[in-house]
This record gives sequence, C-alpha cells and structure tokens, in this order.
Amino acid sequence: MSLNDLISRLFADPGDAGKKPSQAAAPERLDNHRVNVKLTVNGTVYEREVEARYLLADFLRHELGLKGTHIGCEQGVCGACTVLIDGRTARACLQFAAALEGAEITTVEGIAGDGPLHPIQQAFHENHAVQCGYCTSGFLLTTIEFLKRNPDPTREQVREALVNNVCRCTGYLNIVDAVEAAAVKMRDRTLDAGGEPS
Amino acid sequence: MNEISDWTLIGKSVPRREDAYLLRGQGKYLDDLPVPQNTMHLGFVCSPYAHAKIAGVDASRAKALPGVIDVLTGADFSDDILPFAPDIQIDGYRRVERLVIAVDKVRFVGEYVAVILADSPYIAQDAIELVDVDYDPLPAVSGIEEALKGDAPVLFDSLGDNMVFESHFETEGFEEQFDSADLVLEEEFRLGRVTGLPIEPRGCLAVIDEVADTYTLWTPTQIPHQVRTAIADHLQMPESSVRVVTPVVGGGFGTKCHVFPDELVAVALVRRYRRAVKWVQDRREQLLSDPHAREHLHRIKVAVNRDGVIQAIKLNLMTNSGAYANYPFSCTLEATGAARMLPGPYRIRNYKYDVVSALTNTCPTGAYRGTGQPSCFLAMEGMMDRIGRTLDIDPADVRRRNVVNPDQFPYVNVVGVRYDTGSYLQSLDRVVELSGYDEFRARQPRDRLIDGKYRGIGICNYTEVSGTGAPGWRVRGFAKMPGFDSARVVVEPDGRASVFLSQADAGQGHLTAFAQVAADRLGLEYADVRVFEGDTAKTPFGTGTFASRGSVVGGGSIIRCCDKLIAKIKRIAGVILQADPADLVLGGGCVHRAGAPGNSLTMEQVAETAYSMNNIPLPEGEDHGLEATDYYDPPMVTLANGTHIAQVAVDPDDGRIEIENYTLVHDCGRVINPMIVKGQIHGGTVQGIGEALMEEIVYDSDGQHLNANLLDYVIPLAMDIPDMRIDHIETPSIDTVGGIKGTGECGVTGAVPAIANAVCDALAGIGVNIRSVPLRPSFILEQIENARREAAG
Repeated sequence: MSLNDLISRLFADPGDAGKKPSQAAAPERLDNHRVNVKLTVNGTVYEREVEARYLLADFLRHELGLKGTHIGCEQGVCGACTVLIDGRTARACLQFAAALEGAEITTVEGIAGDGPLHPIQQAFHENHAVQCGYCTSGFLLTTIEFLKRNPDPTREQVREALVNNVCRCTGYLNIVDAVEAAAVKMRDRTLDAGGEPS
Repeated sequence: MNEISDWTLIGKSVPRREDAYLLRGQGKYLDDLPVPQNTMHLGFVCSPYAHAKIAGVDASRAKALPGVIDVLTGADFSDDILPFAPDIQIDGYRRVERLVIAVDKVRFVGEYVAVILADSPYIAQDAIELVDVDYDPLPAVSGIEEALKGDAPVLFDSLGDNMVFESHFETEGFEEQFDSADLVLEEEFRLGRVTGLPIEPRGCLAVIDEVADTYTLWTPTQIPHQVRTAIADHLQMPESSVRVVTPVVGGGFGTKCHVFPDELVAVALVRRYRRAVKWVQDRREQLLSDPHAREHLHRIKVAVNRDGVIQAIKLNLMTNSGAYANYPFSCTLEATGAARMLPGPYRIRNYKYDVVSALTNTCPTGAYRGTGQPSCFLAMEGMMDRIGRTLDIDPADVRRRNVVNPDQFPYVNVVGVRYDTGSYLQSLDRVVELSGYDEFRARQPRDRLIDGKYRGIGICNYTEVSGTGAPGWRVRGFAKMPGFDSARVVVEPDGRASVFLSQADAGQGHLTAFAQVAADRLGLEYADVRVFEGDTAKTPFGTGTFASRGSVVGGGSIIRCCDKLIAKIKRIAGVILQADPADLVLGGGCVHRAGAPGNSLTMEQVAETAYSMNNIPLPEGEDHGLEATDYYDPPMVTLANGTHIAQVAVDPDDGRIEIENYTLVHDCGRVINPMIVKGQIHGGTVQGIGEALMEEIVYDSDGQHLNANLLDYVIPLAMDIPDMRIDHIETPSIDTVGGIKGTGECGVTGAVPAIANAVCDALAGIGVNIRSVPLRPSFILEQIENARREAAG
C-alpha cells in the first residue's frame, strides 16, 4: 500500500458518521499501519519503520532521542516545535514523519552540534533571551531562517518574523534584541570569512 | 537588619548558567526524561458537560483495544485516594471536596471521568475516544451573579447554595467617616478570566524504587515539598515513601504551584500496579482544567474630599471559585488577596470590604502571576483617575496627594500590613518625568483625537506583596502553608560549595542568582558554587517558588545558612591561624585576619581539616563536616513597589489599541541580578498586556468552555509588544534578610491597570467609560458606537 493510500484510509470519512459509537465495528489498532521512512536529520541519515500517523515531533523526540524539539500545543500555534525542513521552518507537530521521505531536517541539536554556540545562540545568551527555555529551540530555528533571508533587518521586521513563535516568560523584548545582535554577529562573521552574505 | 554593603556579585548582571544547556535543547523537561521499560501511559477521559450526573461508564470498547492495559473510573480510587481539598481555615469559608476522578457527578467541562492505562501515549489517546460515558445533563451555571441567585443550579447539594466564601472587614467608625466626606464616587470594574499558560504543558512520571519501597514522582511543579505532603495526606502513605523531583520546568506563573488530581492518580497507580506511570497533558486539557484566575467584579465606592484626598473606601468584591477548591489555595487566594491589597501605596485609614465567592460550573480558579493585584489596582487606580476627572485634578496629582510619603515609613496599613520601606512618591515622580507625562498632557486635546486616533495616558501606582511568611498565610486562612524556606549549604572537601534549596525554579534563573548570593557570602568564586533545587530528597523542607517569594525567602535562607556555616569556618580557621574568629574575614576563596590577607588559609585547607583529610586536628568540641542548614520564615509580607505609565492610541475604525509608549519605574529592594529582574519585569508586563487587551477564557451560560486552544485564547506575540523604558530605584527592605524584596509579579500588576486607564483616558472625551478588561477590538468598537449613538440622541 502506498503512503497516500494509507493516509487517505486512515483519515477517510468512514461513511457511518451518524452511527452511535457503540454500534461501530470493533476498534482497529491504528498503530498496525507502519511505513518505512528514510530522512536526514542534522546531517545524519536515518531509516526507520514508523506508524504512518507518527508525528515528526514524536519521531525526533522518541525515535531519534532528539528531545530539544519541544511540544507546546500540538495544534501548530505555539511554534515550540519549529524545525527546519529543507531549510524552511515547519511545525514538527503538524507533520507526519512518514511523509518526509528524503527530507533534510535541522533541529536545535543541529545548530551548533558539540561545538561552540552558534552566533544566534550566543546572542540569545548575551541578551538574556532565555528564561524557561521551552520555546527557545523554536525561536532559534525561526531566527536562522529569517536572518538567512534578511541579514540586515529592521526592528519591526524582527518583530514580524517572530510572530510564529509564542513565548510566555521573556515578553519578547530580549529576544528581539538578541535577533538584532545576532544579525550583526552573523554579518561580521560573513565578512571575516571574506564571503558574500548567504 | 543585615545591611550588606560589601557585595561583589550581588547587584551584577551575571549571565545565566542555565542557558548553556537550554540553548542547545539539552534541558531535561518532564517529557524528556528517560522512562523505565513497561511504563504505562495515562490518558484522562474528560467531561464534555459542565454539570451532569454520570449514569454509567462503559469502557468495554476501550479495554478491547490492543495495547490498553486497563480503564479505571472514580469508584476504582475510592479506597486509594481521599477526597481532595485544601486546608483553609478562615471564617466564612465552606469546604468543598473533589474526587480526583469524578463519581456520580461532574461539575465542569474537563473534569476527569476515567483514566486509561496504555502501552503508549498514542494508544491512550485512541482509547479515550472509545470510553462511552452515559451522562444525564443537569442545568449549569457559569457566571458569579447568576450562581448566587436563589433559583440557580446548586453544585453541592450538601451546601444548599453556591456561596463558598464570604469575608468582611470594617474599620471602626467606618460609616461615619464615609458619610462625612465631600463626595462619593462609585464604579464597577470587571476582569475577565485568564490563566498562566506556561508553554510547557504539565505532566508527571511516577516510578517505583523496589528496593526501598519508595516512589519518585517527577512533576514540573513550583512546590515540590507541598506536592509530597498532599500526596502523603491524600494517599495515606508516609511522607518518607514519596520523593518529588522537578525536572527542568517550562514556565510556571502560578499555574504550576498547585497540586493536581493527576499527580495523586499517578502515585496511586504506581503503588497499585508496581509499574511506572507517565502522563503528558495536551494544550486543550491544560486550558480546560489547569487553574484559571481573575474573573472578579469590584463594586467600589470612594468617599473623597474636594482636595482629592480619599477619606474612606467601601469595596464589594465578587469572585468566581469555579467548581471546586484548588489545592492549596482555593478561591480565597485571590478573593482575600484583592481585598487586602487594594489600599496599595495609599494612606487609606477607613476601609470596609465585603467579599463573596461563588461556586460555578467552570474550571476551579487559583493562582496566576499577580494574584488579586492586577484586579484590585484596576479598581483602585481606576478610581484615582475618576477622582481626577471629577475634581479636575491631574490624576498624577491625585496619587501624590494620597500616597504614603517618604517620611511615613515604616507604615502599617489599614488591614495591618507593615510597609517597612518604599519609594511610592519617588517612583511616581520619576516615571512621570521619564515618560514625558506632563508634555503629553500639555499636547493632548480635550477630545483626545489626534490624527484620527484617540490618545490617552494611564498610570498605575502599585505595591507588590512578596516574600509572604507564615503570619501572612495564617491571617488569610492558609492553615497548612509553611511560609518558610530553607537552605543547606555545604562546603565540600575541595573547598567549593553546594547549595541545596527548598525552592523550585521554573525559568527564573535560580541556579545563577542563588549562586551569586552564596558565593558572595562565602567569599568564593561564583564558578565554585552550585545550586540544587526541586528535589524533596536532596533539599530541606520549604514552601516553594511562587507569589514573588523566591529571591526574598530563598535568598534570605541562603544568607542565614551561610552565616551559620561561616561561624564554623572561622572557628576552625581561628585555631589554625591562632586568631580570634571575630577578627577573621572571608574573601577570594580564603579566610584571613581583617586587613591582613597575607596570612590566610584557603577554603580548601579549612575543608580538609573539617573532613579530616590532613594532619591538622579539628578544634576541641567541633563536629566533622562543613555544612549548615537554616530555615528562614520572613515577615508577614514584604512590599515591593513601582509605577507604570502607558500611553495608547485607539483606532475608532477597527477598535485596535496600540501601546505607543510604555515606561515604568520599579523598586524591589536589594537586586541580586539586574538582568534577571529586568527579564521578570518584561515577562510580567507582557502578560499584563495580554490580560488587558486580549486574553480571556470564555464560558457560555451553560458552562461550555469556548476557547480551549491557542488560536482562540489569544496571548501576546512579538508584534504586540512596545519597547519599554525601565528605571530602577533600590530601597532595601529593613525587615528581610539582605534587604531583598520580590519582583515576579510587578509587571502584570502594573500593566493591567495602566493600560486600562490609558484607554479610558483616550475615550473619556467621547463618553466611553472603560471599566473592564480585556479590551478587545470588538468590545472597543461596540463601546464607541454606543457612545456615538447616545451622543446623537
């Protein structure tokens, strides 16, 4: 069975919408539908068999042990689970792992690896842009994508870029400061390396 | 007391050590902990009805699902868990108990009806859908006033009506004073229902330690020791058989300073099945059933003289308890809190309050950052502005004429709270100057209309209750709230120190700030001090981290504990150095004679002696080891203070409010880490902006929760937040150890009234009276349209 067939079967209208639950057929064990998926996370290729409905966030956290991707709402609103899929930000709680065959994913663990903090992380540290830290991974990945697109943003553009992520501790101001500081650091780094801003 | 003048680390913005792991995604939150094999995953079946009889629960379909271990209902816990209720002992309070899993009857949407035990969280979720509960719906009531009507549906038949708490206070000769003032102003203020909403939902992991026959409950709580006590009490087990540990906690805000039915259930299940149990809440469950706050109605009458000086205040306050009493606070936390805190920074000598709390078919209310203070200052500061408008006195001047003046400290307020020090007038004057208040007033036309928008400015001058000690809790009826916190400080054999504190960090940076305190006191390098918290097995007993108490009580207990330990360090060093211990000082990791740093011992050398690791004998009569434990019960309360000024523009076309200017001056006494304090101010203020402009949990009249998701419960985003101008005044407390006052709740407390007053000021010229929050665009538009219609006659 193809993945698309599987997904449509799992989420199809069973045609008995009016039926009372007790009259429905015996429950089907949904986790029997397993799919093979091969994808790249933080530069490492992983191949796993997963439940077709398994969310990317759960896949990263529980299958790969990358627990820096946090789940805040499971509704795609808070942005705590933001990761990069092929370089673009996405909510890991709204993606099926099985649908990401061949994708390249970056999580917070992939930002600096075991090396020194990335300039964006360093800027968050220096500007006290972290309190409880639960939303931080998402903000970092949003910032990576944003500064790539707009290396020299205005303060208003920074604010606008951050509306996809919710923070309840910091009141955002230090995060905005950190992203501005990170932009400067990143531009300096690019110049030091003698390269064009990417 | 303990005036400390030679701090070197305290007062410095030491960067946070917590960031090192949080920025790499390495913080171990509850859902990140490794779990034992065979862990059972819980799922709770929640009531979709606000009020209903449970005619039956049929779990056969759920139990038939492969991977489901069991499905339990309330009756299955009747032998395990006593009815759950806090110990509130105050006149006028009526005890209500909650069964952790409902039996016979549900009283709010989201109440637990059954619990699933499954092999995985996905299967637990699947099984929730397969439990068939037969409900007989009952009439429900959600509003305070409706619940107190004679014909309202009654939640607890044993009580006969829905009045759960009433409290009264009146100063001597009140009515006479009230009647003799020049005039009386009255108003009604309402606050919407909100909630703390930490971005990390709650959860718990209960594991068994077979060898010792003890259980460890991992839970992201602000009050680990109180969780343990509640479990021991309600599960009737020895406190020593339960260990409560907090992992890294993803925000608390008061939401996580309660004890929850799911925590009791998890421990009961690990005890019964002898298998680990894990549960992680989802956001919908969080919004449905974690404690809500506010939903207050103030009817306030202020008797004032023509000079703007208040002579007497009469308050009638109604609050919504929700369906039960949250542990450990119940509805009384905010009800008595708001009534007792209302006099704030002002010289109010004649005061009368009547407080009523009603049971309703809604989520039980409890603590959320600010507790009662955004509420009472919405009323109090709203009245300050109304006095100004009525008597044609600038609102800033009305406040100046009523504040407790600098020469009046220490001051005991009308309900008996001592204000040891404060900067009420100074903070007001400074924020007026910094914000350009007078200039704004000068250019603000009478009708406030400037370039198509109405502009206004609002002030909130507040006090912030912090560091509440046992007397403060007792006077409010919290019979089991300890009030103290404690520290165990150990100088290890290598001369470095470990601090074990009874508190629990939820993002405030305790591991950094408290290391600053201990290192400063012990004369050690900051890097040589580690702080441990949030573990009942490692730390001495204490109250926990909430109500702006962390820095006051945690900091104070560390200072006291270090002083105890220093006495021993000096005794040992005195013998070795042949010096009078009284002549010795600590600094730079050494002990030496004051003024003679040359002849010194390192802390490591002292420790070696204490731990019998060298040839220097321990002085006669001295115990081995180099540690101390101390318990610090602070005064009744310690008052921080400050003033916020918000300047807003209201767009009459779409009802949107923009905060154009935000300035605040803040005084929390001795500051441990200014960077962290500023972060607390930012975060709290933005929660206040949310409460003032957008956040509200909405129930319909049948008790149905209408917005239990983050799209519909709207909280502030980066675009909603103005830059803030912040200035500090540092007036150390003379009552607390170290002069520290708390700071966690100042932001929300100042912001809600300041913004409401600014909007009210903006729209006053067109006959709109703002006296409620939140001020959502639709509400503002409706008010403007009503005013225009009225003006048109």
